[in-house]
Amino acid sequence: MSIKIGHKPYAERIQDGLNNAFMRKAVSSAQGRFRSGRLKAAEELGDWEDWRTLGEEIRSHTMENLDYYLHQLSEQVEKRGGTVFFAETAKEANEYIQEIAKKKQAKKVVKSKSMVTEEIGLNEALEKSGCEVVESDLGEWILQLDEDPPSHIVTPALHKNKEQIRETFMKKKGYTGSDDPVELAAFAREQLRQDFLEADIGVTGCNFAVAESGAITLVTNEGNARMVTSLPDTQISVMGMERIVPTWEDLEVVVSLLTRAAVGQKLTSYITALTGTRLEDEVDGPEDFHLVIVDNGRSKILGTEFQSALHCIRCAACINACPVYRHVGGHSYGSIYPGPIGAVLTPLLDGYDDHKDLPYASTLCAACTEACPVKIPLHEHLIRHREIIVEREKMTTKAEKMMMMGFAKWASTPAAYKLSTKMARTTLKPWTKEEYIEKGPGPMKGWTEQRDFPAPARERFRDWYQKREQRSDQ
Amino acid sequence: MAIHHREAFLDNLAEQLGRSRKRNVEAPHYSVHPQERVFQGATQEELVEKLEEQCKIIHTSFMRTDLERLGDTLRSVLLNYDVTKVVGAGGSRNEATGLTNFYQEIQLEGYDVHIWDEAKGQENVSFAERAGAGIVFSDITLAESGTVTLFNDRYNGRSISLLPETFIAIIPKSTLVPRMTQASQLIHEEEKKGNLVPSCISFVTGPSNSADIEMNLIVGVHGPVKATYIIVDDL
Amino acid sequence: MKVSLFITCLCDTFTPDVGKDTVELLERFGCEVDFPVGQTCCGQPAYNSGYKSESIQAMKQMIKAFEQAEYVVGPSGSCVHMLKEYPKVLAGEPEWAERARKLSDKTFELTQFLVDVLKVEDVGATFTGTATYHPSCHMTRLLGVKDAPRILLENVKGLNLIDLPMKEDCCGFGGTFAVKNSHISGQMVQEKAEHIEETHADYLIGGDMGCVMNMGGRLRRNGQEVKFLHIAQVLNTQ
Repeated sequence: MSIKIGHKPYAERIQDGLNNAFMRKAVSSAQGRFRSGRLKAAEELGDWEDWRTLGEEIRSHTMENLDYYLHQLSEQVEKRGGTVFFAETAKEANEYIQEIAKKKQAKKVVKSKSMVTEEIGLNEALEKSGCEVVESDLGEWILQLDEDPPSHIVTPALHKNKEQIRETFMKKKGYTGSDDPVELAAFAREQLRQDFLEADIGVTGCNFAVAESGAITLVTNEGNARMVTSLPDTQISVMGMERIVPTWEDLEVVVSLLTRAAVGQKLTSYITALTGTRLEDEVDGPEDFHLVIVDNGRSKILGTEFQSALHCIRCAACINACPVYRHVGGHSYGSIYPGPIGAVLTPLLDGYDDHKDLPYASTLCAACTEACPVKIPLHEHLIRHREIIVEREKMTTKAEKMMMMGFAKWASTPAAYKLSTKMARTTLKPWTKEEYIEKGPGPMKGWTEQRDFPAPARERFRDWYQKREQRSDQ
Repeated sequence: MAIHHREAFLDNLAEQLGRSRKRNVEAPHYSVHPQERVFQGATQEELVEKLEEQCKIIHTSFMRTDLERLGDTLRSVLLNYDVTKVVGAGGSRNEATGLTNFYQEIQLEGYDVHIWDEAKGQENVSFAERAGAGIVFSDITLAESGTVTLFNDRYNGRSISLLPETFIAIIPKSTLVPRMTQASQLIHEEEKKGNLVPSCISFVTGPSNSADIEMNLIVGVHGPVKATYIIVDDL
Repeated sequence: MKVSLFITCLCDTFTPDVGKDTVELLERFGCEVDFPVGQTCCGQPAYNSGYKSESIQAMKQMIKAFEQAEYVVGPSGSCVHMLKEYPKVLAGEPEWAERARKLSDKTFELTQFLVDVLKVEDVGATFTGTATYHPSCHMTRLLGVKDAPRILLENVKGLNLIDLPMKEDCCGFGGTFAVKNSHISGQMVQEKAEHIEETHADYLIGGDMGCVMNMGGRLRRNGQEVKFLHIAQVLNTQ
């Protein structure tokens, strides 16, 4: 996989999403639970705005000094017996990991959930080198068996129902049980336990690295990340270069924000902080540890007005708050990063050519900005993207450009404004019935496809006001 | 052990940030510190209450005992879970709490007991894989979230709290702190003193769970399915 | 107190009654209201679509139109918020940015002005009926006006106010979004219409004509017999 998923054009993807009744119901109910969980957790904690401020300050300080902290991190990891590889591109990262797999003669690689490895297409790369790759997060495993991309960054299989999951398990793994989620999960436990024990290499992502001590922390609930980092002899952790905090004290704050904003938990079942290789007298944990730090387009965001997009802690609060996401689902975005943060990040990482529609997939209602635990101004970034698409990339239609030039002329010339608003009622008369337009012409079509449009009033406000002034003057 | 491709990578970041490489960064002063206000001034007893409350949310049984009755309490927990194979953490705390005796006793009663011992190598892991319960000591306990912090080391293998179906944590009352803030401060201080941070620190909060299937909460996925915390008063 | 009315292009053209009610309300509380005729549109349709330079032309016209005003008050959280953004948008032109800042500082949304500046919480209105209120996104989240409309409506005699389920969700308007992404927008406003239905209210009240036109247009299309009003129309009843 890469950032981009599928080849369908935007309009088709949206229609697929809108037509998928089960998915929409599932997303809508999940959003409801996520949202109330987040709000409840924030309220219980108290001082939520202070927490957000602190989160923003930590992320901002880290990004401003990213070179320093990554240097410190790499020194510490090396000191603890680990190897650090800085990869500018997805290709470099994959080739390095393929090389390790080759050296280890690895047959089986077991993975815990990681968005960055989806982004760089690590699974395909490892499979090409002859490894069997097993995703061990329940949601990711379901998707892997079904060859389906994730539709949410925290609960990747949100769009699937239990009947579909049962069918996948039956077809791919010979499952014979019911569609009871508990039974399905027990089956996954039993199947994957063997994979954990047999695997030669464990691959993880990284929620946050701690620069001061070289720890890689993983925030999970299922326990699979602990399996991946306890049982195989070799551990490879892949991190987006921005996923780092300076100290343990900073870690604690961003983790507190992450678990609350993501799922409304005070802490998830497992926060695992792993530093280097296992020590000499220890029995479990890896004897060989590699940390791969990935740029893959991120550095182009540094130093720009989009820098705060790198503050993202991948909690999906913006996705869960987004009313557009609720109706179209994750796959409609055509990116492994869906929702508001996806609409901001995807064009930055993967260019505008394939993703120019994403910044417009928002009403700019700012529910995302309000939900973000580190105060990324997501809706403002979306407006800025639109500016770039219009002014730098020149990707909008000529008709739209003409219309907006017309708008500028109209709104900056009171006489033109007055004339057109005066004429509006007459102009729209042919389409008006009982003071409403049910089927409008030209640019109004999109509006009236979905709802009625009111006819302009008989008398504008300014006419009324002028008459009133005249009356009072007399 | 090596670091590859670092300098060009970091030079590029500095260039993007419009400056030369930073060789030193002063610790920042953040404008707010809400984390210090949570449970500020709470007594140890109040923290126990918070922990007990939180246990209900995290699907974890909460028990309270003292040193004298610790063995009896553990025995009742094992009986209750119908477990016969037990893996326990090693180290000096077993002696200090009377667990050494307890383990010997239950072995005589027919339990299959394994105490983690690095000399036994992979045997530790394969026993843990088959064990019904794993028993560990909490190093720092977070009242707010109901979290047991485990500094995994030669005595306390990662597998003990991970592979068996039942997770049993013995929590000395003295290890209770309000929240992760205090635990991370302690680790930060140790790091600053130049002490080795454990290769694995596990913050464990109840049994494993997942909501990946239609957002239904499933308790018990890859890690333990059941969890019991035993608070020991005079520790 | 001298107040210049910022009518908004929508109210000027489509719902002049909202303007009349706003004027009368403000006058009732001792304001001397004028209407600068040079005002046009705040520029938001262009700005939010990425046409910054086009929107700036509108903004400069608005700055000029309201230069003499003591206070500027408008019946729309969204358009008022756009005015508040002017200094940021015009940051590249310091002289204009300064003029924009002056405009921004003296501009208020109607309910915000009533409650925060005039210190009025009970306008003395009477409106008999069952209604639900949609708190528009820009008004609440961007302008930060969350309580004023609720306080004012709660003090209207005879008004039975029912909480709108999922009220903080966007109605799907989003300016050009409603046209450009009309299929998504249609589903969003449909969901809103269903929530309105659940309240069994006779009236839908909103503080932003864009959102009210969107929801009202869908209600009408669905054949739902809910009347829709701007909050000024409710507050100016006697």
